[in-house]
Order: sequence, then C-alpha cells, then structure tokens
Amino acid sequence: MTPSIEYYCPCLAASPHPPPPHLPSSTYSFHPLHNLFFCEECDAVRCNRCVMVEVSGYYCPNCLFEVPSASVRAEKNRCARNCFHCPNCRNTLTVVPSDPPDDGDARMSPIVSSTLGEPPFFLYCNHCRWDSAEVGITFEKPTGLAAQLQKFEDSAPESLEFERLKEHFEPFLRASSSSSSALHSAAAHHVHTNPITAAASSALARDIPGVGKYNPLSRSRAGRDKHAHKNDIPDYKSRVEVASAGINAGGGEADVDFMCRLETMSEVAALEQRWVSSWVASLHSSDLKPLRIPLQSKKSKRCPSCRHILIKPEQKAQSVRYKIKLVAANYLPAISVSLPHAQAAVEMMKRSTALNKSAAATTVDEHGASAGALLAGKTYSFHLAFTNPLYDPIQVRLKKAQMMQAPGADGDKTRRPPFQVNLPSSPFPVAAFAEAWEYEDDEEVMFGLEEDEGDLDGMGRQQRDGRSKTRTLGVVEKRANVTVVGGEVILTKEARGRVKFNMLVSYTYRSDDPDGAEENVTGTPSRSHASSKAPELKNFSFYTVVDLGLIVPREESRIDPDI
Amino acid sequence: MDVPIYYTRAEYIETDTGNKVSRRATIAGPQNIILGGKTIISSGAIIRGDLRRTGPGHAVVISLGRYCLIGEGCVMRPPYKTYRGNFNYYPMKIGDHVHIGANTIVEAATIGNHVEIGKNCVIGKFTIIKDCAKIADNTMIPPNTVIPALSLFAGSPGRFVEDLPESTQEMVEAQTKQYYTRFQPLPSER
Ligand SMILES: [Zn+2]
Ligand SMILES: [Zn+2]
Ligand SMILES: [Zn+2]
Ligand SMILES: [Zn+2]
Repeated sequence: MTPSIEYYCPCLAASPHPPPPHLPSSTYSFHPLHNLFFCEECDAVRCNRCVMVEVSGYYCPNCLFEVPSASVRAEKNRCARNCFHCPNCRNTLTVVPSDPPDDGDARMSPIVSSTLGEPPFFLYCNHCRWDSAEVGITFEKPTGLAAQLQKFEDSAPESLEFERLKEHFEPFLRASSSSSSALHSAAAHHVHTNPITAAASSALARDIPGVGKYNPLSRSRAGRDKHAHKNDIPDYKSRVEVASAGINAGGGEADVDFMCRLETMSEVAALEQRWVSSWVASLHSSDLKPLRIPLQSKKSKRCPSCRHILIKPEQKAQSVRYKIKLVAANYLPAISVSLPHAQAAVEMMKRSTALNKSAAATTVDEHGASAGALLAGKTYSFHLAFTNPLYDPIQVRLKKAQMMQAPGADGDKTRRPPFQVNLPSSPFPVAAFAEAWEYEDDEEVMFGLEEDEGDLDGMGRQQRDGRSKTRTLGVVEKRANVTVVGGEVILTKEARGRVKFNMLVSYTYRSDDPDGAEENVTGTPSRSHASSKAPELKNFSFYTVVDLGLIVPREESRIDPDI
Repeated sequence: MDVPIYYTRAEYIETDTGNKVSRRATIAGPQNIILGGKTIISSGAIIRGDLRRTGPGHAVVISLGRYCLIGEGCVMRPPYKTYRGNFNYYPMKIGDHVHIGANTIVEAATIGNHVEIGKNCVIGKFTIIKDCAKIADNTMIPPNTVIPALSLFAGSPGRFVEDLPESTQEMVEAQTKQYYTRFQPLPSER
C-alpha cells in the first residue's frame, strides 16, 4: 500500500486535538482532503459527518426524471414511471412483450423495443433472467406500469394500516409542526427534529415507562406545548391483528413448515432481497415482487455551526456544477506523501518492464511494494509535497502531535514508542498558485539548502545506518506552487504495526479579510501587497494523520513463542 | 511526486494532437474512429471502428474525447440491436477525461466527461454513464443500465454504492492530465 495522508475534522468537538492514530476509531475523524468543506464564516474545516444536509431535488436514478417534491410523497419516494429493480439481483428490469419476434438470436430478445410485440407484457431481468410472469405479474399495456404496481402496493393490509395510523396522528402532527415552525424562527437553529420524530418519541415515552422522550428543547416553550398535546391523542385500535391475520408472511408455523421442506437454497429469499421491502416480506423467493426504483436526491450542505451554505448544486439533476461549492481543497494546501526508497524501487521495476514487455503493469506494484518495505530497526526518509491552492504564497510549519501511550500500556510508562518521527523544524514557503503553472512540463528542480539540524523534538538521536547519509530534513524541491520537504522516521528494532502519526500543519497567508485591520486593508491581496503597509498575516492550523505503511519485522524467522 | 510511466518509443505512434496509440493495439476501421487529442490507447486494446451502421457514406462509430485512457487489453465495441426487424450497430460516444482500466469490455452508448472505469469490468450494451461517475474494478454492468452523475457503481450486477464527492470533476481532471504527463518514453530514448 502506498503511503497516505488524511485531514482531521473536529466535527464541533470541544477539543481541537485529534484522537491518537493507533485507535481504530480515529479513522472516522480523518478524511481525504477532497471530501472536506470549508466554512469561511467560521474559518473551519467541515466534513460529511458534521454538515447539515438538505434535499435540493429528487430524481429517478434510472430514467433521470426530476420528480417535483409535491409528488414524491404520493409516489412513496419511488419512481412512478417505468423503472423497476429486479427483486432477485437489483438490476433494472426491461419491459418485454410475451412474444418477442424471432430474430434467430435469443440473447437479443430483451433489447427488442417494447413498442412492438404482443400483450401481455412482463418485466424481464437481462442479468439473472428473472421475469415477472413467474410471480403472476403481467400487463396489458407496456405503459403506466408503476401506477398499476403502486395500486397493488397500496392495497396491502400493512399499507392500509399505516395510512390509518397516519390519519390518526394527523391532528397532532399539524399541531406540533406549527409550534415547531414558530420555534425555528425563534433562533434555535441546529435541532434536527421533525414532527414525525416528535410524535414517535412521545408515543414511545407514553407507552414505555422510563424511556426518555426525544426532546432536545424540553425547557423551551415548544417543549411544553408538546407535553400538553400528547395526552390529547386517543388510543389507536388496529384494524387487523397483524400476528393472526396471516398476512402473506409473518413467520409462524407456515414458515417452519416451508423451511423443513426446503430443497434448494434459492427457494428462500435472501435477507438482502427482503429487507428493502417496507413491510414484512415473504420467505419464499417465488413471492418476490418487482420493486419500483427508489428516488435519489441532490443535496445542499450547510455549516453545522453558522448555517452558511457550503454546497449548493445546480437544479438540473444530472448537472455536475454547483452554484456554491466551498471545498477545503481550495483553502488548505494539498499534501502528498511518498517514500523515496520505495519509489526508486518501483521506478526500477517499471523501467525494466517497459523495456522487456509492457503488459505486466499490475504485477509491478506488488514487487515494488516489497522492495520498498519498511524494515524494523532502520531509518527511512519520507517526502511531503505541499501544493498551494491560494493565489498568495504561504509559509508552512510542521509539528508532530504528541505521541500518545500505546493502548494497554497505562502502567508501563517507560515503554518506548515503536518509531520516532523527525520533521523539518523551520518554516518553509510554498509559492502561489497560478493558472499558467498547471501541468507545465517544468522539470526545473532546486535543491533546498535548508539547515536541517537544530533542535528536532529535543529527543535523543539513535544510531543510523549508512542509508541516512543521503537523508534530507527540510526542503528537497521547489517547483511552481509545490514544495517538497523531507522528514525521517526511525524505527526501533522491536517496531511492529503501521507507521502512523498525527501531524499539525500551520500556515500563514496574507489575509484580504478587512476585519481587525485598523488601517482598513480592503481590496485584493495583491493590491494590499503593493501598498507600503505590512500586509496582515493570518494563521491557519489543521491536523493530519500520516500513514507511511506497515513495518516488516526485523527477523522474519523469529517467531514469538507464545503464538 | 509525479513518477513517470515509461513506454518504449518504438511501441507508440504519437499524432499531431498528442494522441498516443500503441502499435500493439488493434484499431479496426480507423476512418470511423475519432480521438480528441492527448488520448492514450494502450497495448492489446481492441477498438472496433469497423462495426458500423449499414448504409452508404462515412459514419463515426467510436468517438473519444481528450485525455482519455484505454487500458491494456480493453475491448471497445459499439452496441447493436435489432429494431423493427433490422440488425444494426449504434455509435459509441465517450467524453473527455475518461479512464478505462485494463481488460475491460465496453459496449456503452454514451459515456460522459470525467468518468473512471476500473479494470476487468463489463459495460453492457447501450449503457449510459453520466458525468463524473465511477465504476469500481471487476464490475459487471448489464445492458441498458443508466448510471447517474457523481455515483459510484460496483458489483455484479453493478449497483449504486455511494455519491462521489463534489470535487470529483477537478480531481479526475487533474489525474487524467497528470497521467498524460507522466506517460513518457524511456529517458534513454529521448
Ligand atoms: Zn466534521
Ligand atoms: Zn424512473
Ligand atoms: Zn435479476
Ligand atoms: Zn460556519
């Protein structure tokens, strides 16, 4: 595996420090740069786990029809045109006439246009060959199939029961939604509560003693309103006893009997085939019905703290443009990590394969990986390449986050970390981004002469092997808006696991933000530079996790006696 | 960071617009194939420009945009069907910045811009792939499938897995351009 780096999103946590990288749960806090957003208002990174998501439009992923939100509810969030999933394999079904014209090639029959041919029509899967005639579903006309199927869905006893339930709670929902809309205008922003959640939790709290009601606003006026309402709801009497009604599935004797007589596995509908159904689904695979395709949505995203919009897509469903798109990649430097010794190994392989035979590209990676392994007890240098997305130069400073105790080592404070990381201690510049530099074949390489000693962490140095003579701590290369710096990692003889550490990246940039500037620095950054006044410098810091790869134990032959 | 991907100069023909076509690729019916420029056709690839619609005159069978990559051993074959009793091939149109992994078979009708297709995939007849979509390695897309913009598909049959990040377009564009820059003749031959 190639070395990687991910960026930390604190997700509004109180502590700005990231979790230690050896904890498996830490992976949830780190993201690739291109998955992150940036809120200019809060001057903070945001991620998909913390942003507020709003649906900005619905569309069918198959016919790509943009469904107006008004019809989404009536059509139960599924496509109301002729789009169906195969209940067996989830492929999209095709409408075929029962008597496909014989063209001598059976494989082509599903492709035949449905405008020809004889009724009855049925739905056919060209992947697994399931067809709806098997379950007794055929159509007189090849159009309006969804409406016919939805009629069927809607007449299911469970569906009718659900409709009655909704009717029953309707007055309460209306009351609580009016009070909660009053509340939205009254400042309490980030409470994700909707009338249905509120109704469900009220009902639960009433029926099961001790279950806390989901009410994040219990001290507010609206909270009291809800308390007042909950006792107004009369008891609900179900129309049918679900357990005894023998609704086509529901467990019990019949299922046991069916399972006892089972001859082939395929008679049973797999869990995956059943759980997409809204209601209890039959165990028999012969009962599976075609599924109307669930709609998908385009989403807007907001900052969870200040509610400013970070992502706003264009209305058109298949457009990949955005009206607003504040992504972190436009604000933070992109960092990529590499191990020069591994790269050299890979390049050797590639060169030789290109000469011999060019058809073996896939095997090269594997060979390269073993040649570029990290061996315990050795010292390796690694390169970090910083790419500046800003139109102004930045100064970057790196700091390794404090090494946390290894898990389970609470009493054993003397235990040494398995590796030590040294990063360049002095700040280094990364030139401004300029359109013209993009993808220029500019091979000009300047070798930095950054002083590389100095106090690195103040930690004791260890013995190095011969390889480290070529090591560089500091700037290795500068080209266009990219600066490459070298760091080193010293692995102990007992080192195991991954070389993974948290790194704090701070950078200074010239701010064109007029706030706080007494002399009112307005205008573009470049203009403020031209003036004789010192430009206002701003600082931004973020945490990353660097993963250099797996350590190969020093002696492969040495086997732990207790394993 | 940009590790070069070397090829032997003798193997590739470079066109005026920067297309690089391997001599080990099979290009059938080249007069019916359009390459947008800076597009790479790797060795062992088969492009069936010869499977054209019946009728007189020229017909574009397969068109590829700029910065595309047809991986090693790929087969690009236009889709066909019998409509009103007539068997016919239909053109295949592929946008810009489309990478297709090794040993994948493509019979799609249209592929948008900034699309990544993995290796060892089968893209069935008349598939429509919208902009910025991605097909994972070893995916089997049945005929007539529609793959919406910015979605990742995987499996057999290929199914929707997740939405891709909002910055997919920029990322794929940078990657495909970078790939083209990295793809260069061995230094000893320059
Ligand atoms: Zn977050
Ligand atoms: Zn549809
Ligand atoms: Zn199927
Ligand atoms: Zn904000």
